[in-house]
Amino acid sequence: MKTFEERFTAWVDGRLTGAELAAFERELQSHPEALAEKDSALALGNLLRANLTAPPLPNPDFFNLRILQQIQPPPSPAPAPRRFFWTLPRMAFSGLSLLLLATLLYFAAVPNTRREVRENQQYVSNTLNPSSGDLNAQSDDPHITATAFHSKQDNANVVWLDGLNYMPPDYKLK
Amino acid sequence: MPIEGEPLNVPTAHADPIASAEPVLPDDGELVKRCQRGDTAAFNDLVTRYRGKVFAMIYNMVHNEQDAWDLAQDGFLKAWKSIARFRGQSSFYTWLYRIMMNVTIDSLRRKQVGGETEFDDSVGLTHIDPHAHTAPLPVAMPHEKLAGDEIRARIDAAIARLTPEHRAVILMREIDNLEYQEIADTLDCSVGTVMSRLFYARKKMQSMLRDVYENL
Repeated sequence: MKTFEERFTAWVDGRLTGAELAAFERELQSHPEALAEKDSALALGNLLRANLTAPPLPNPDFFNLRILQQIQPPPSPAPAPRRFFWTLPRMAFSGLSLLLLATLLYFAAVPNTRREVRENQQYVSNTLNPSSGDLNAQSDDPHITATAFHSKQDNANVVWLDGLNYMPPDYKLK
Repeated sequence: MPIEGEPLNVPTAHADPIASAEPVLPDDGELVKRCQRGDTAAFNDLVTRYRGKVFAMIYNMVHNEQDAWDLAQDGFLKAWKSIARFRGQSSFYTWLYRIMMNVTIDSLRRKQVGGETEFDDSVGLTHIDPHAHTAPLPVAMPHEKLAGDEIRARIDAAIARLTPEHRAVILMREIDNLEYQEIADTLDCSVGTVMSRLFYARKKMQSMLRDVYENL
């Protein structure tokens, strides 16, 4: 059910038809001033339409420019020129890295071998040390050679002599 | 509503390119599709096409050129931001009009809350009986004849005393000649609400301007 205000507005604007119009006009018979109110509302509309002319948009080009400035995406940065990979800082860094790697490898692998050699040399030196009197490795015959080593399998120190014609049977290592 | 400097009939792609020397502009649908692909130049064409009508509509709501200019800017920026969601269920101008009207009403409400303007509702529901036989006494004397500028000033003053919602409905109905349903869609309210607001907006305006239009 439409309110009086809704029906009055529709009546002023000519939107009531048929039974709805007839019913409303019967209702308005008790309001003789209603027709004058309708004419007044129509006159108001005419007054507004005749006088509400807006001024032209000031600075229309600037109006568009302002909008464009705010909606245009920021320009993408220009692609950087292609550079040679081996720049000076990169070369220095790579050199230092390689040097560090070489140093690590040296201490990880090479010193162990040398240490083993040094230990063997020390062992032979101790074994054949003439000052100990245990074995005189000195010989006038340059064809006589002595080799000493440790046999892990037999858990024994072995002195291997080459070039001797014989060894006295009472001669033995202590 | 006559608008200076802006054509009322928007040229479209349907115009005969041979008969007219004017360059044929693409229609709104084509421009909207380009906008949805991020074409700012297409949006610039839409702005050029509707800036005058939009400015006039807002100006009649706020009665201030600078405010209307700024609000039109805001409205177009909002339209750009949401144009990807425009599905073409209404015309582009109807959609744009709705954005502009909401931007304007929001602005008027903020000013109302901030106390920048005053809305005099003394001639309101409690003072105007829907069944009343008479309206409040006009401000000016009946015999006074008003010049054009004075009439405009009186109308502006009367509109300024309406609430934003009442301003919107009476201007949309009387100036832009929109149907109730279009007004309801724009303001996101029922048709009944539109008709009721129109009733009271007219009553208030009649009470303030009766002497003007009865003595022209």
